[in-house]
Amino acid sequence: MASRVSSKGKGSKGRSRRGKCVKEWSTWAMKKAKVVAHYGFIPLIIVLGMNSTPKPHPFQLVNPV
Amino acid sequence: MGEAGKGEKRVDYMNLPCPLPFEEIQREALMSLKPELFEGLRFDFTKGLNHKFSLSHSIFMGSTEVPSQSKDTIKIPTAHYEFGANFLDPKLMLVGRVLTDGRLNARVKCDLTDNLTLKINAQLTNEPHFSQGMFNFDYKGSDYRTQFQIGNNAFYGANYIQSVTPHLSLGSEVFWLGHQRKSGIGFAARYNKDKMVATGQIASTGIVALSYVQKVTEQGSLASDFMYNHMTGDVTSSFGYDYIFRQCRLRGKIDSNGVVAAFLEERLNMGVNFILSAEIDHLKKDYKFGFGMTLGE
Repeated sequence: MASRVSSKGKGSKGRSRRGKCVKEWSTWAMKKAKVVAHYGFIPLIIVLGMNSTPKPHPFQLVNPV
Repeated sequence: MGEAGKGEKRVDYMNLPCPLPFEEIQREALMSLKPELFEGLRFDFTKGLNHKFSLSHSIFMGSTEVPSQSKDTIKIPTAHYEFGANFLDPKLMLVGRVLTDGRLNARVKCDLTDNLTLKINAQLTNEPHFSQGMFNFDYKGSDYRTQFQIGNNAFYGANYIQSVTPHLSLGSEVFWLGHQRKSGIGFAARYNKDKMVATGQIASTGIVALSYVQKVTEQGSLASDFMYNHMTGDVTSSFGYDYIFRQCRLRGKIDSNGVVAAFLEERLNMGVNFILSAEIDHLKKDYKFGFGMTLGE
């Protein structure tokens, strides 16, 4: 009896707990994605730009002329 | 036979031109009446490494206004250096700007297919909960455009604009703010001929905006705009001019709030531009003058 009651309780609680789990994980993923985007966006543009044709010389990145 | 020779072409309603995107309906009026006025010194240097990739360095020293409750304007002197990188491909455009305090301004525009475009706009800060981002999916049809937006804070929006005649396009937008459970709907219309553009927008947030731009000569156009905010009872009307000469571009405007502004961009040499900006608010006695130089294309 007790096991049946506990299993029924877990059924409805399990669904809401899973929903909370998904929400927590998606918040965690968004936070990590924000940090990655914040630090990695400009380096990504520089990497894409240095690999485009005609390939510029790395010295041109710091040369002001 | 005689009527056909009068010079009026029959309108082919199956073959209308594609309208401008919904957010650019008032593009001509915004370009003429809202230049980027600033106060202080501005120096921008853009260095192109190849025709797709360029870096930019930007220095600003001046005052920025802080919104205040009292009628006085509060200005805080600020100075910052901004480093930017641009990658421009026919199908992919990446623009990033980072400031000395760690704020990042990112714009991505990617053509997923011929008609479908993804645009991402984000301002990321180091402080938590202050970052903003917006994803836009644009679909361009033969004579219509539609856009779907998803933003942070559970913002969802959609808009649709359709060419109705070769000169008139009508559009509407809806949006929903998740966290505040607010929604809104708006309508817009744009009528343009060769030398004039008239637009009108009305939204359920209580905003009515009208604008009219007329090209008076080869070099110049006049623009006027009217905005009414029903919630706050604000009414603003402005009138301005925009003249493009061979070596300079001069824009000026006067406002119903007692603000007179002017913005001059003068081309001194190939790739060297000199900028002067002035904004005089007679009612608040706030005088803002700025000067700067822009090097590079």
